[in-house]
Amino acid sequence: MPELSRLTLLQVAFRSFFLQASWNFRGMMSMGFLYAIKPALDQIYADPELRRQAYVRHMKYFNTNPYFSSILMGVVLALEERVARREITDDIIDDTKEGLMSAFAAVGDGFFWDSWRPFVATFALLFAFNNFLLTPIIFLTLYNLPHLYLRFRGVFWGYRMGTDVIRILGRFQLPRVRLGLRYATMVLLAYLVANHVNLHTPLLITNLPMEYFYWGEKIVQGIGATLLVGLSALAYRSKIDVLTISFLLMLLALLLYHWGILI
Amino acid sequence: MIEVWQAALLVAVIGGIVDLDSTATWQFMVSQPVVAAPLTGLFLGYFHGDVVSGLRLGLMIGTILQLVWIEQLPLGMNIPPDAALASVLSVALGYLAGRYFESYVEREVCNTVALLIAVGLGLLGRSLDIWIRRLNTSIDNWVAGKLEAGAFHALDVGHSLGGFLTFLKAFLFCFVAVLIGVEPLRTFTQSLNISQNTGFIVIEGLLPAVGFAVLASRCLQTPRELQVFLLGVAAFTLLPAWFWLPVIFGLGIGWYSSRSPSNA
Repeated sequence: MPELSRLTLLQVAFRSFFLQASWNFRGMMSMGFLYAIKPALDQIYADPELRRQAYVRHMKYFNTNPYFSSILMGVVLALEERVARREITDDIIDDTKEGLMSAFAAVGDGFFWDSWRPFVATFALLFAFNNFLLTPIIFLTLYNLPHLYLRFRGVFWGYRMGTDVIRILGRFQLPRVRLGLRYATMVLLAYLVANHVNLHTPLLITNLPMEYFYWGEKIVQGIGATLLVGLSALAYRSKIDVLTISFLLMLLALLLYHWGILI
Repeated sequence: MIEVWQAALLVAVIGGIVDLDSTATWQFMVSQPVVAAPLTGLFLGYFHGDVVSGLRLGLMIGTILQLVWIEQLPLGMNIPPDAALASVLSVALGYLAGRYFESYVEREVCNTVALLIAVGLGLLGRSLDIWIRRLNTSIDNWVAGKLEAGAFHALDVGHSLGGFLTFLKAFLFCFVAVLIGVEPLRTFTQSLNISQNTGFIVIEGLLPAVGFAVLASRCLQTPRELQVFLLGVAAFTLLPAWFWLPVIFGLGIGWYSSRSPSNA
C-alpha cells in the first residue's frame, strides 16, 4: 500500500474548506468530514466493500472547530492506513475521533471565536473609525494568517504524528496567548470608548474659557462615553436585547438634545 | 445607474456568496460585518458610479454591526444571528433608498433606519438558517442510507446540495428583501420629514456606545479587568487621539499579561 502523497493531503486540506456545507442537527459535520477525506479514503481502500465500510464508519456524529479539523483529518487518515494494513481495529478510529474532536473544539473555539476574532475585529475597527477604506483587507489578512497556516500545515502534522499531535497544541501556549489577546482587546476598546462616542455639549462653549475648551471637551467625552457604555453594558448583562437598548439610547439622545444638553 | 431589480440581483449574489462564508464553506470571515458591508457598498457604489461613497457607507454600517455582533459565537449547537445577511442588506437598503435624498441628514436617517431593520432581518435570517439545517438533516439521512447500499456518488450530491441550499436561501432572502424593502424605506424616511438636524446627528454619535457595551460586557469579567479597562479609558481621555497609541499600548499590555499565567 503506497503512502498518501503530498498532493492528496493538500487536496484533503482544500476540501476541508467545505466542511460545514451540509451542517445538520443529526451528524453535524459528518458529511463534510467524509467529503473532505474522500479522495484519500479512495486511495487507501481499493476494494469496494472495504471502502463502503469506511464510508459508513465516518457518517457518524462529528463536530469540532473547522480550522482545527484538518489536523484531525490527518490523524484519521494515518489510522485508516493502519486499519487497512490490519494493524488495528476500526473502533480505535471512532474513539480517537471522539476524543480529539472535543479537545480541538474546546481549544479551537476558545482561541478563534473567543479571542482571535474579537481581537482582530477590534483592531480593524480602529482603522474603520478613522475612515480608512482598506480596513476589510487588513482584517482579512491578519485574521486568516493562523487560519490558513493551520489548515494547510495541520493535515501534515496529523498525518505524520498520529495521535501524538495533541502535544503540538501545548507548544503554542494557547491559554497565555488568549489572556494576552484579551487584555490587548480591552486596551483597544478603552481607546475606542474614549474617542469614538461623539458627545458635544453647548454648555461648555458658553461656560468655559476658550483656552480650556479642548480639555473640557475631551473630559466630557470620556466621562459621558463611560457612563453611556456602562449603562448599556448593565442593560445588556440583564438580558435586554440589542435592538431595545439601541432604541432606548436613541430616545435618551433625543431627550438630551431637546433639553439642550447635547448638540 | 441600474434598475432596482438589477440592484436586487447584484445584492442577492453578494449575499449568497457572503452567507456561504459565514458557516457553510471557507470561513475566511468575509462574512464579518466589517468586511461584508464595505464589500456590498463597493459593488453598489461601482454600479452607481461612486465607489467611495458606497465604501464609506459600508464601512460605517459594518463598524456598528461588527460591534453589536462581535460576541456572538458559533459554539457547538449555538447558531448566531445572521450577521452577514444583516450587513449586506442594511448597506443595500440604506444605499438604494438613501440615494434619492439630497440632504446629508436625510441620508443618514435613512441609513440608520436601514441598520435597525437589518438587525431584525439578521434574527429572521437565523430562523431561516435553522430551517435549512433541518432540511440538511433529511439529506444526511438519505446519504447515510445510500452509502450503506454502496452508492458512493450520493455523498457528493448530498453535500453539494446542502451548500447550494444555503446559497439559495441567502440569495432569495436578499433578493426579496431589497425588491420590496427599498420603496417603503424611502417613503418612511420621507414621511419623517427631517431635513435639518433634529437630534439625529446626536443619535448617530451615540450609537457606537451600544456596540462598545456589548463588547465590554464580554471582555470584562474579573474586577481586575474592569480596573485595567477604566484606567485605560481615563488614560485615553487625557492622551491625544493618535490611533497608533492604543496599538502600542495594547500589544505591550497584552504581551506583559501573557507573561504571567498565574492570574489566568
